[in-house]
Amino acid sequence: MTERKKFYLTKKGLEGFKKQYQFLKSIRAAKIKGEVPKIWESEDLNPEYLSFQEDLNFIETRLAELENILKNSELIKPPPEEKARFVDLGATVTIQVDGDKDEFTIVGTLEANPALGKISNESPVGGALLGHKIGDEVVVSSPIKVTYKIKKIKYI
Amino acid sequence: MEEKKELDEIINFLIQVGKLKERKRRGWLAHKIKNPETTASHIFRATLLAWVLARKKKGLNIEKVLKMTLIHDLCEVHTKDETPYDPLLPDNLQDREKVEKVLDKWPNFTLKQKREKIFKKYKREFRSLKKLVSGLPQDLKEEIINLWREFENGLSEEGRFVKQIDKAENYLQGMEYWKRYGKIRQKLWARWAKEIFDDSVIVKFFRALDDKLIK
Repeated sequence: MTERKKFYLTKKGLEGFKKQYQFLKSIRAAKIKGEVPKIWESEDLNPEYLSFQEDLNFIETRLAELENILKNSELIKPPPEEKARFVDLGATVTIQVDGDKDEFTIVGTLEANPALGKISNESPVGGALLGHKIGDEVVVSSPIKVTYKIKKIKYI
Repeated sequence: MEEKKELDEIINFLIQVGKLKERKRRGWLAHKIKNPETTASHIFRATLLAWVLARKKKGLNIEKVLKMTLIHDLCEVHTKDETPYDPLLPDNLQDREKVEKVLDKWPNFTLKQKREKIFKKYKREFRSLKKLVSGLPQDLKEEIINLWREFENGLSEEGRFVKQIDKAENYLQGMEYWKRYGKIRQKLWARWAKEIFDDSVIVKFFRALDDKLIK
């Protein structure tokens, strides 16, 4: 496992990691005592919860990873009103790109899931949008130019 | 497990995995690429890519990275390889009118559809992988399954790195096909890549790749 400086997490993300940590700790304790944990049902879509009957080794590795995350996490807080018109971590941004309308939430790398519209602040697009405001046209070149026009910014 | 039985099970596993040497990837078939790469050839180059780029990352467990890349698509022995265009793509890829219409735009799903799609894919692939490794010795079976879960869920630094390696190799292949055949919507691909890569080493690789192949 590598050490990182900071993991930026949304409130929901941080709560999720804390929940996973507590859950795996309880499973580990039950495993060590030789108890077979009762089937744990959840409506949470995180598939990790669906197959909790892991070997101890896997649980230990994951717990160490989660400890590192929780130790180095920094909560993404909504910005003060005067800064809320700029894109920052935690912002949900509606954009227009190549004639399509799309919506991203800018998150830290651990919560990034582009398939679900969560873009990392360390990705070329996420990084380029930071600091911009409604109406700005942000060009991301690589060398293919893609222009993102910011239509709306909101913070939850 | 007695040695003879163990070797017998390992041979069965390898015979099953060998099918991936012939399994042409659906995304390229949809793009009408002639003799497209197979799942095994994608795994081969992704593993090399993982190795050469992991050297640039401090603290990554390279053995784990290599094993993870080797096993990341083994589930495709018993299930289809999914493209970002599924489930919009028709089963019959010869239905060109429908296929071309789907490929023309980056697929736009609602959040609910996206979550459902990811969840179903995960379940299908996990079930398939468990079936594939079911006869293997316990330690090997657990190692493969745990590596896959770390990869699929991004549960470790190595898992998150390999996840992007998988896509970087896919992007490289896409750009090569675009150069050779011009059938890839390269602008859509470039847009996708700029949204998904966030590992600093892979972002540098992606930029260098674009400079070399697209300029």
